[in-house]
Parts: sequence; structure tokens; C-alpha cells
Amino acid sequence: MTKLPTSRVGVVLLAAGLLVYPLVFTGAFYHDVGVSFLLAAIAASAWNIVGGYAGQISVGHSMFFGIGAYTPLLFYTLFGWSPIAGIPVAIVLSLGLAALIGLPTLRLSGHYFSMATIAVAELIRLLVSTWSFVGAAIGLQGPASGRGWWDLTFRSELPYYYIFLAVLGLVLAVTAAFESRRFGYYVRAIKAGERAAKSLGVPVLQTKMQALALSAVFTSVAGSLYAVKTGFVDPGSGFGILVSVQMVIIAALGGAGTLYGPLLGALILIPLQTATNNWLGGGGSGLTFIIYGGIIVLIARFEPGGLMELWYRLRAKRWRKLDAAA
Amino acid sequence: MTRSSLWLAGAVAATVLGFAAPASAANPVRIGILWPLTGNAAAAGQASKAAVEVALDIINNPHPELANLPLAATGGLPNLGGAKIEITFVDHQGDPSTAQQLATRLVTQDKVHALMGAYQSSCSFTATAVAERHGVPFMVGESAALNITGRGFKWVFRGTPIASDYARTYMRFFAEMKGQGKKIESIAVVNENTDYGTSVSDAIEAEAKKSGVPVAIRIPYSASSTDVSAQVLQLKQRQPDVVIFISYTADAILYMKTMRNLDYRPPMVIGDDTGFSDPSFVPAVSDVAQGAMNRSAWDIGKPGSTTAKINEMYKAKTGRDLDDTSARNMQSFFALAEAIDRAGSTDPEKIRDALTKTDLKAEQLMMGYQGVKFDNTGQNVLAATYLIQLQGKQYQLVWPEATANAKLQWPMTGWTP
Amino acid sequence: MIAVQVIVGGLLLGAIYALFSSGLTLIWGMMNFINFAHGEFVMLGMYAALLVVVWLGGGPVTFGAAAAGALFALGAVIYLSLVRHVLRGPMLAQILSTFGLALLLRYAAFWWFSANYVSLPGNALSGTIAIGGIFIPVAQLVAGVAAIVLTLLLQLLLTRTLIGSALLAVAEDPGAAMLMGIRPDRIQALAWGLSAGSAGVAGALLATAYPWSPSVGETFGLIAFVVVAFGGFGSVLGSLYAGLIIGLIQAASAFWLGAIYKDVVVYALFVALLWLRPQGLMGKA
Repeated sequence: MTKLPTSRVGVVLLAAGLLVYPLVFTGAFYHDVGVSFLLAAIAASAWNIVGGYAGQISVGHSMFFGIGAYTPLLFYTLFGWSPIAGIPVAIVLSLGLAALIGLPTLRLSGHYFSMATIAVAELIRLLVSTWSFVGAAIGLQGPASGRGWWDLTFRSELPYYYIFLAVLGLVLAVTAAFESRRFGYYVRAIKAGERAAKSLGVPVLQTKMQALALSAVFTSVAGSLYAVKTGFVDPGSGFGILVSVQMVIIAALGGAGTLYGPLLGALILIPLQTATNNWLGGGGSGLTFIIYGGIIVLIARFEPGGLMELWYRLRAKRWRKLDAAA
Repeated sequence: MTRSSLWLAGAVAATVLGFAAPASAANPVRIGILWPLTGNAAAAGQASKAAVEVALDIINNPHPELANLPLAATGGLPNLGGAKIEITFVDHQGDPSTAQQLATRLVTQDKVHALMGAYQSSCSFTATAVAERHGVPFMVGESAALNITGRGFKWVFRGTPIASDYARTYMRFFAEMKGQGKKIESIAVVNENTDYGTSVSDAIEAEAKKSGVPVAIRIPYSASSTDVSAQVLQLKQRQPDVVIFISYTADAILYMKTMRNLDYRPPMVIGDDTGFSDPSFVPAVSDVAQGAMNRSAWDIGKPGSTTAKINEMYKAKTGRDLDDTSARNMQSFFALAEAIDRAGSTDPEKIRDALTKTDLKAEQLMMGYQGVKFDNTGQNVLAATYLIQLQGKQYQLVWPEATANAKLQWPMTGWTP
Repeated sequence: MIAVQVIVGGLLLGAIYALFSSGLTLIWGMMNFINFAHGEFVMLGMYAALLVVVWLGGGPVTFGAAAAGALFALGAVIYLSLVRHVLRGPMLAQILSTFGLALLLRYAAFWWFSANYVSLPGNALSGTIAIGGIFIPVAQLVAGVAAIVLTLLLQLLLTRTLIGSALLAVAEDPGAAMLMGIRPDRIQALAWGLSAGSAGVAGALLATAYPWSPSVGETFGLIAFVVVAFGGFGSVLGSLYAGLIIGLIQAASAFWLGAIYKDVVVYALFVALLWLRPQGLMGKA
């Protein structure tokens, strides 16, 4: 298959759109929606590395997200350090946890990894909510107002937007880079069939571990970004099962195992969530979630492979048409 | 278009503008309210929303029959030329970052003059931070965590009492009961383990220590528990004289039923509001929890009283009696409206100033507080609370004795006739 | 004495866990399909019971049967209209569809019944019996017996009947089953009906003892998930044992360690089990 020129144009347009979005949609609220979208896209793209490309479905990625969120705020609370100081520590902790979870469970195939991730994430959430050193049920707060830029506590949403956008760019660049390298072929081979991959000499466990580690690092960063932006984290918003499920849903909706799938998923789901809640939430009838749940069901029913597949199909159709014309 | 029709159109426009003019002299006052209208705490958010809508009716329309409440007798806010209050409700779903985003929306898009919310402490933390950043007054109607006020925030006020107030009330009650010869040698504290239960039980433990009341056992648990037998058996083993439950709805009902099932009846049970005040609680347990006490600053009162009239309005709207949590939110809303009216302006700085000078007397309130007056952290220091007791099919106000409308029964009878 | 009470309480609790988990075993264990909406089925069973009691004034047998019937139909309809189409997609589509379904069902109930907590009015199952100083609530006893009976019936159905063999055959290889003259869609619709129906019965029985609101499904869904994984996939008996064991562990750890640690202990043991015996108690490796 030859590279399609349209994809490059699409990427440029997408990047340009994201860069100018805050200039077109001014106002703190629209910026905040943009920031939420970017955060969701970062977290889902991070999940996508192990869940989508390598096909190891984690339903407990909140463990990395929560560590990423708690560590900076904990250091701030304990020592008054800038949240930036906690970010690398969180990454190291997340890597350690990834090794602890991955080594025993990734040897096996099937649901074991999914189950272990849910169980460990729940276990951590329960422990954190009883441990007063990390704020127990009440959670941790960041600086109320920044002492300087290094506190990453801004009055405006704009700095968050561009920081998050840069991180998203980094995650996608790293993902794109491994897609066409040996590691990329390895993970896809594992996803297609573990036994076959093994017989072809793919180092299965090592590759899965690498994917999990890379995914954990970026998820942890997403958690840290969440914490500095929200200025608060508690067991539910850090380690809650919904945090994990949201990543899975967004990636699956857009197309797991594709570079832009999670981005597309976030691009649809976050505005959908925001719009339904802002229009209907105040009525309090629960209609928000009926619509939100209904749309997810419809997409799963009619486009089970995620929306990127629809995109590929449409593009292929157009390509065939162009072919026919030529 | 003919000349005459043009003229007519002009006349119509003039009339419309002419009528519009006095209204525009009194631009509405916009208040944004953040509550959990979906998710696990939806019942509380929905009830509070209905309560504030009743308060809005009382403020915006003349209600001379409720004249002891400020702003009730007149329509709208008199000091703002009779301006009406407009509320925008939003649903933060119990998620702190959604609360943050919606607070931002209310301030920057809806341009509200004041904010109120947010029930869960986690959401109050993030939403008040937005108000502080943008310089908009925020009235915390009901959130438990101590440090929502006292973070050095200039724009945050809390109309409801806090955990340490409750704890002191319990200790005063115990001291009085001991004075009457009741045996209170040890108490037990059973608390759900989120921000609410943890804050309140920490405060009770601290106050109990100060007043020399031994806490025999403290049992934190998760409110989503499907079974509480083990906790009831722990209590049965320790035999405390009073058990204080800090619980949400399902767990509060479950405790009362499980105590019946395991034949455990302590001399007295005190519920710390919330679950015990949920309108679903009394019908579910009235046959097994006779004499259980509850903390409440809300009392429906005698027919014809202001509180009874408010309850009637609420009942006409929802079909249920007003509960304490919603009533406290309603009172906070009244206090906020009164301050805006006194400010005579929608300028945030002036509203804030007025809030700091708030001094409502007990007779101006619908709640059993001694008044509303904010200290320099924004906390209402005159908030107080009653104790009520389940007698028959409803709660009766039993303490303090001066305001009581029924006699305290001690010990509780539970399910025995 | 109090220790015996703790153990009895734990076993009764565990039997209820087993009851609402057996349906999930059927779907998740046999068809390898993760149903995130199982807790919502239980929740709907609770409301079905309430409606029957309020409208028709029926007793436990009536509302139990009504909940089973209503949920059986719902399960079959959900299979035919949604699951059937998603089955062919990747596993993520299953998560996507049933997660969306869970939200849809939860908030449909929310919209219809409001967020307020409800309890079933007193009925034949209210009350408690005392045997030698041990207290046993009637509702829990009935739920416990029902759990064991239903689980055994399900086990018999799977191992001793033609329908059971057809179910297993379809779970193993739908293509091959079709060659044997089995119509996979019908069989799987039946399995979904059974799964949802047993959740409905569980919900109706739970409703006699437990106050609820539309969000209750979340709690039950998570417990069911742990029970099934603990017991081992596809093993109906496994989930009965796992339910009983988890109930016992929770009761014992809540009593001797403290209520907040009961879930910590369950999840810690679960993680340990995954390390040591990843196929679950009764599952095949």
C-alpha cells in the first residue's frame, strides 16, 4: 500500500486546527473544554500503546494516572515544592508498578492482564482512601495561586492548553516513530496471535513489558497534568475505575491500535459529554447520560472497530474512485 | 410597506421599548449553582435544587405570609429596584474537574454575579478555587471538609455549620444527659469513609477527648457496603451507651435493619443528619428504629409557622417533606440573596463586602441557627443545630429543651412496642 | 458465639454474591464476553420487584418470577439487537457497547424512578429467625437457598441437557456448532436471557433486604466481576464457591480487622490468586 497524500494533509490541518482553536474560540470556558479534550486524548493515546497496539487490554490504567496525579501534589503538600518536582518521581513509581504488574501477568494471555489491572487499581484506590498520609478520602490540593510559573498554577487556561498540546504531540510522535520500527511490528504481531509471534522469534514478554512501560510513563504524565491543572486530586478522580474506563472507551471509540484513533475518540466524546451536560445537565433528569450512553452503544453496534475504520473505508472508496478515474 | 404600517410598527416598537424600560432598570441578578444532579449523590443534589427553587419563588414573588424572612414580603430585591434573581443550575456529576469547568463557564460565559454549591467537598475545593481566581463570591451551601474555609480565600463563605460545631453540640447534649442521670460512659462512632464521614468523626473524636467522653470504638466503613452485619456485631461486643452514625442513605437504613435482625439495641442511636434525614429513611425504618435521634437544624414546626409554610411549598413541588441538607442549602441561598440586596449592586466586590457584614438574627432564619455571621475565613459562626428523635412515623424536636416540642425518650425502644 | 454469627452472616452474604454472579459467569465465562451492564440487570430486577409489589401487591414468589421474566426478555432482546452484532467485532467493542448500555439502563431508571432511594415495603421475607442464639434474617436465608438452587440448576442445565451441550458447543466454536445443526443466535439469546433473568431474581431477592437507587448497579457489577474471576471462567460451581468464600472473607475481615479493610483484603487475595493460580479457583488453565 502506498502512502496516501491525504493523510499528510489531514495531519497538517489537524495540527493547525488545534493550534488556532483557542484563538478562534476565545473565553476561559472554551479553553477549558479544549484542555479537557487534550488531556483525554493524551491519556487515551498513552493507553493505546499497550491496549491498542499490543492488544493487552488494561482496565486499570488509573493506577498510573493516579500516581501521576498524587505525587506532585503530595510533594507540594509535604515540602511546598513545585509540582514539577513530583512529575519525574511519579514516572519512576509508575514504571516500578508496571514491572510489578506486568512481569507475572503478561506471561499469560487472555483476560488475566485485564483482571489484574482492575484488581490492582481498585486495591490502590482503597488503600489510598484510608491512608491519611496521602490525604485519605479527602484528597490533596495544589497551590491555590502560583508563586511563579514553576508552580504551573495559572490564572488563564491558555498556558495549560499549549503545554497539553505539546505533550500530546510528543506522545503521538513517539507512537508514530515506533509504528514503523521493529518494536511496532512486534507489538502488532503479538496482537494478531501470540503463539505465532513467538514462533517467529518475537520476544513476546519483553515487547509487552516495553509497551506497558511506555504506556505507564505517558499515563502518569497525563495524571500529573490533570493534577496541576485541577489543583486537586482525591481517590475517585485519581484512581477511580471510571478514569480507566474513560481511556478505554475513548480509544475504542476512535479506533484502538491506530495512531489517531484516540485523538478522534476524544474529539467526539469530550465535546459530546460537555455539550450534553451543559445543555441538559441543569435539568437534572439524567438525559445527559441517556444520550451519551446511547451514542456509545450505537457506535459500538454499527462501527465496532472504532471510527477510524469508517474513515479508512471512506478513504479507500475515494481512492478507488480516483483509481477508476485514472 | 405603506407609510401607515410603518408608523404602526414604530408605535408598537415604542410601546414595547416603553414597557421594557423599567424592567431594564432592574437587571436580573444571576446566580450560578453547582450540584451533583446525576451520579451517586444525585438524590441530595436534586432535593437541594427543588429547595432553592422554592426559595427563589419566595424571593422573587411577594410572600407577605413569610414576612419574618428577609426579602419574602417584597417581589425581587428592593435595593436593586425590585430586580429578580435568575439561577443557572449545572450538574457537576460529583467530578471535581467537571465542577471546575462548570464554575469557569458560569463565571466567564453566563457572567453570574455569585456562585453557590457544591455538596461534595472535592467539588467545592475546585469550584471555589475558580471563584477565588476570578473574584466572584461563592456561597458553600453544604460541604463537610474543614479546610474549604480557612485556606486564606477571600471570596468563599459557608453558611452551614461545620463538623466541629456538630461535635460540640453532641458533647453539650451528653453533658446535659449525664446531669439528668443518664449513663453515658462510652460512645461509639460509626462513619462512612469519604470526606463527609471522615471530617465529622475526626471532629467528634477530638471533642470527645476534650470533654472526657471515652470513644469505645470507631468504625469507618464504605457507604457502598452491601452488608453491615460485622460492624453491628462489633458494636454488640463493645456495648457502648451511645452509637453515633455518620452515614449516607442506603447504609443508614441498612444499619437500622441489621441491628433489628441481629437483635442489637443500644441505649441510644444518634444519626448525624444526611442519611438519617433522607426522606426515604423514616418510612423504611420507622418500625425498627423508634427513638433513634438525628441531628438537624431544620424543624417543620407547628402548622401555620413560617417553617411549616415553607415545607408545604416544598411538598407541593416534590411530594416529600423538606430535609435538613436541602434546608441548609436553602438557608445559605437566602443569606446570599440578602447580602446581594444589602449590597444594592451586582458588583462582586460590593457583594463580598456585604457578605462579610452579614448579621442575620435567629428570627430572620428558617433554620434553628443562632444567626448568620461570617468570621474572617468566611465561616458562619452562629450556626447551631437541634437534635430530633424518631417518634412514631416522624421526627420530633427534642433538644435543646427550650425549643423542644416533644419529650426525649431514653433509652430508645427500637422495634419493641 | 459471635464468631459463629460472623461466619453465618458471611456465608449468607456470599450466597447472594454467588446468585448475582452466576449469570455473569454464563456470559463472561462461556462466551468470553465482558458484560459491564450486569449490575444494571440486578438493579432493574430490584425495580421490577418494586413495581409488582406497588401495583399488584404481589408476594415474594410473584415479584421474583416477574423480575426473572422481565429480565429474561430484556436479556434476549439486548442480545438480538446489540450483542449479536458486536460479537463479531474486537473485544474492545464489547466493552464499549456494554459500558454504553450500562449508562443507558442506569439513567433510564434514573429518569423514570428518580434518584431517590427506595426500599421494598415489608413482606413475607421481612423478619429474622433465631436458632440457638444465632440470628438469621429470613430474606437472606431465602436468597441463600435460592442462590444455591439456581446455581445447581444452571450447572445441571449446562452439563446434563441438550440445551446445555448446545450452549457449550456454541461457546467453543460457533461455526462448528452451526454445522451440527445448532442455531447459535437462538442459543446465545437464550443464554443472555438466562443470565439477565438470574440477575433479575437476584435483584428481587436483594430488594427485600437492601435499600437502593439507580446507581446501585455499580456496586453489584464490581462484586460480580471479582466473584467470577475468583471462581474461574465458565465455571458455574466455581462462582458459587467463590461467592461463598468472598462473603466469608468480607465478614471475617470486617469483624476482626475493620470494615474499611474488607475490600482491601478481597482485592489483595484476588491479586495474590492471579499471581499463583491465574485461572481462578475452578477454571481450567
